[in-house]
Amino acid sequence: MTAYPLEQIEELKRYCDKVSGLAEGAATYLLLEQLRLPNGCEPGCCDALLRPFTGGDGYPSQLYFSVQVKSVFARNWNVSNARICERNWFAFSWRVTLSTPTLKDILIGHLTGFTR
Amino acid sequence: MNKQRFVRQSFLGPDADERIAQCTVGVAGLGGGGSHVIQQLAHIGFQHYVLFDGDIVEESNLNRLIGAKTFDAPAETSKLHIAKTVIYGLQPDAKVRSFAGRWQDRPEMFRECQIVLGCVDGYQGRSELEVACRRYMMHYIDIGMDVHGEKAPVIGGQVILSSPGNICMRCMGFLTDAKLKEEGEKYGKAGSRPQVVWPNGVLASVAVGLAVDLVTGWTKRSSKFAYLVFDGNENTLKESLTLRNIQIECCPHFPEADLGDPVPIVF
Amino acid sequence: MTLIKLTGSLHGQMLEDLARRHSFAGERVGFVLGRYGSLENSGTLVLLHRYYPIPDDQYIEDRAVGARIGRDAITWGMQAAYSGRQTREGVFHVHLHAHKGRTGMSSVDRRDTPEVVRGFHAVGREAAHGILILSLDHASGWVWLPGRDEVSASSVCVIGHPIRIFEKGAGQ
Repeated sequence: MTAYPLEQIEELKRYCDKVSGLAEGAATYLLLEQLRLPNGCEPGCCDALLRPFTGGDGYPSQLYFSVQVKSVFARNWNVSNARICERNWFAFSWRVTLSTPTLKDILIGHLTGFTR
Repeated sequence: MNKQRFVRQSFLGPDADERIAQCTVGVAGLGGGGSHVIQQLAHIGFQHYVLFDGDIVEESNLNRLIGAKTFDAPAETSKLHIAKTVIYGLQPDAKVRSFAGRWQDRPEMFRECQIVLGCVDGYQGRSELEVACRRYMMHYIDIGMDVHGEKAPVIGGQVILSSPGNICMRCMGFLTDAKLKEEGEKYGKAGSRPQVVWPNGVLASVAVGLAVDLVTGWTKRSSKFAYLVFDGNENTLKESLTLRNIQIECCPHFPEADLGDPVPIVF
Repeated sequence: MTLIKLTGSLHGQMLEDLARRHSFAGERVGFVLGRYGSLENSGTLVLLHRYYPIPDDQYIEDRAVGARIGRDAITWGMQAAYSGRQTREGVFHVHLHAHKGRTGMSSVDRRDTPEVVRGFHAVGREAAHGILILSLDHASGWVWLPGRDEVSASSVCVIGHPIRIFEKGAGQ
């Protein structure tokens, strides 16, 4: 399992109920249980899966949600029912490009997709 | 069951019928390819099935959906019903468990299988099936066909065997990040793909042949993997060129740790 | 329903090792690690994946039983159960009855296995632990889930080429 810096994991805990690692195919995703979503989102919180590394989709990172979230700004939910670590996930098209981001930076970068 | 039923397949081995009857086989996708697979599995004597497909029969399916009749399109018959009718028509005592939807919504059903045949569209769907089969130890047999080009159409297809402990579809060069990325970019823009009955028949037959060999061992060849490429214009089925120089002994894509239910490691 | 699966290569590895003669023990034993998978209707799937033979020098001579293993071997098993606690990886005791046909637990297995499993559960609480008994052409397994009585596996499936499905006999 990938070792993420503990202090960065601790930062993530401020945004959700629990942070765990989930391994699949030599990669480790971060399960964020009951991630609190920005105002205007429906539901207000849900489980999320953070992928802080480049995946098969070519994106440098990805934030998957356990449900397709309704938000003020319409988004292109181009990932529907992707199966990762034995659960089904949704994601909208949103590229986060930062140089040397922390895990929190990546998470916030993706959540910004709901607010702009 | 009348013992004469399988007398012509006695060459598969003295206990082949019993082994076939014992085996639980899963089929994801009961369309053009899957319907051929179901028909053959039922003829051969498979008794335990786990089936998934949420679609209904449409007029455009009738050029290739085995078991479907003209009235099934206006009647909106489910493809699941077609498959079950074919199975029960040949194996009245078969145990068929099925779900009219995506397997990903009832994944536990597949885990009792020893073999899963994937007759789905798209690389992502195939990848997900393979991951599930590696996690829960099932042989995975994949089939698919496509028609490329409008002015000079080319029919292509594949049959792949991916088995636990052996090389996977990525190792074999079938699944790549580039293909998954390209497919992801086309999300929602796929449209209707050209499909015809005979390539599906060829591919399904080879897939079922692989399955029967896995169950009975009749060829006495221990195939650890297979990747056969179908050329529907030349009418050939050959081993993929990507296997020629393959040096991989141990698949790096499915570590041993990825067995069973994922367990979150709480930080 | 409780099922056990293992690959053909693991099955072959265990058969080959357990069939070797020991200088004084009547039979050989080993440990095999298994991951947990959930089935429908709260069923259990055990996925065996790694085998550890007991080294020759960790047997204790005891003519009253087929094989008796020493403290080092038991410590190894306990350590494996402890190491597997985070991933729900359990430990299964495995040995071979050198005959053809269905196998069952001997009176010694029935007496000793629950105690061994209790020990494993003390350090690996969430995992399924148990015992696998092979014959030359069959296999049977018993699984203890946390806090529950033993369950005889409905089948042991060797996912190899060919596939072998060893079903539980009546009365097992």
